[in-house]
Amino acid sequence: MKIVIVGNGMAGTLAAKTVRELDQEAGIEVFGEEKYAYYPRPNLIEFLAGRLPYEKLFAFPEIWSTRQRIGLHFGERVARIRPDERIVETGTGGIFPYDALLLASGARAAVPPLTGSGLKGVFVLRTLDDALAILDRLRTHARVAVLGGGLLGLEIARAMRDRGAEVSVVEIFDRLLPRQLDPAAAGILKHQIEKTGISVRLGAVSREILGAAEVRGIRFESGDEVEADLVVIAAGVKPELALAKDAGLTVERGIVVDDSLRTSRPEIFAAGDAAEHRGRVYGIIPASFEQARAAAHNMLGMDMPYSGTVPSNTLKVAGLYVTSAGEVNPEARGHEVLVRSVPETGLYKKIVLKEGRLVGAIWMGTKKGASEIGRFVALKKDVEIRKGDLLEDTFDFAEMS
Amino acid sequence: MEKWECQACGYVYDPAVGDPSNGVAPGAKFEDLPDSWVCPQCGVGKELFSKVD
Ligand SMILES: Cc1cc2nc3c(=O)[nH]c(=O)nc-3n(C[C@H](O)[C@H](O)[C@H](O)COP(=O)(O)OP(=O)(O)OC[C@H]3O[C@@H](n4cnc5c(N)ncnc54)[C@H](O)[C@@H]3O)c2cc1C
Ligand SMILES: [Fe+2]
Repeated sequence: MKIVIVGNGMAGTLAAKTVRELDQEAGIEVFGEEKYAYYPRPNLIEFLAGRLPYEKLFAFPEIWSTRQRIGLHFGERVARIRPDERIVETGTGGIFPYDALLLASGARAAVPPLTGSGLKGVFVLRTLDDALAILDRLRTHARVAVLGGGLLGLEIARAMRDRGAEVSVVEIFDRLLPRQLDPAAAGILKHQIEKTGISVRLGAVSREILGAAEVRGIRFESGDEVEADLVVIAAGVKPELALAKDAGLTVERGIVVDDSLRTSRPEIFAAGDAAEHRGRVYGIIPASFEQARAAAHNMLGMDMPYSGTVPSNTLKVAGLYVTSAGEVNPEARGHEVLVRSVPETGLYKKIVLKEGRLVGAIWMGTKKGASEIGRFVALKKDVEIRKGDLLEDTFDFAEMS
Repeated sequence: MEKWECQACGYVYDPAVGDPSNGVAPGAKFEDLPDSWVCPQCGVGKELFSKVD
């Protein structure tokens, strides 16, 4: 049995590890375009902030030890799949046959078509090389603008602020995290972020990144400008589909897979940020992990179905816990909304009831009760008789469970 | 005993179970895990864990 894996991010690495655990004999070849061994991408934030040293970025070095007999090809891109012959061709002309092929090619940072996005001093953050380039620039240029006020943009802003940079975050929407929060909660979050010295500019549509050879700022549709000599674009990701398309596999937003992680060719599998399962491209670690594990089993002929991943309701944003579940911005009438808010500490709790049943909640600035409230929303629990106490910090969820 | 959750991938460290895949026997408190310990699922370090309460 010969298994070839394209990509050594979370999905590729975990698949290799799982295959080896299940089968001591299978041949495994892993190709990674990046020249590094596996590192979890969240570590890049810690590294950027100066909290994690370079040596501690990497994880699971034991997987790559010679004892595991995994063929390592870091810094080597797979250039083409020849599906009818069941071989892959690498960028350096190598030819590798496979019985099962896993596409774990992940995603790349999306760069909107904005004039000036190719200027010196403009970056994205997806890879270790990106992080190293940002830190290199930061040594001499400390006025930073982050384009995109989503989760990743806010984390990048905070990390660079922790390095002492002057940071502004630019967001197109007129509030932060519009899907997870309501306007009041978003306002509190913004204030909490501003307290750390980051400036937040909302409703700002960038028209152009300014500069001749190097970046010097951003101009908005409104005509306003912000000065910056280091810009990080955090505008989402796009799955890496080139190989799959070229091989004629079915591709929508991601590489389409079924519940066994098979693509439209049964001997080719996909997992992680590149894969689309039941119409969803997750882009998160838990999904990459579960998909990779299932794909590893199925490649070896051990049936392990995958039916989807339930993303966590709780995020940590700029140091604050944010839990958001169900309908947080009810539009229809007939909903009852209860709120308790302590803006100074970043606390904001909101429950949305329909006929006494919990249909939505925001829990920000605390983790106490967060997982319970998420579960209650999932169950549409009837909380009518306790709704007056539910938002109190002293409320004991155990007595209602 | 306190459980700790990985904020990147959701893995929960339960001291009652330990982390046998990394030679951590049941009973070890999260605080007592070595600094070199990483999440057995995704590989991030202890600083990305938070207490489950
Ligand atoms: C800074 C940052 C922080 C994040 N934090 C979180 C978090 O806290 N929680 C969370 O759930 N998710 C987080 N994510 C998202 C998470 O990292 C991804 O979901 C995860 O990395 C997906 O793993 P993957 O293996 O599918 O893809 P990737 O990690 O993108 O890895 C794919 C690899 O394949 C390589 N590759 C692509 N094409 C080829 C080819 N033709 N030949 C060879 N190699 C190729 C790429 O170079 C890449 O190294 C974060 C992402 C970033 C950038
Ligand atoms: Fe983890």
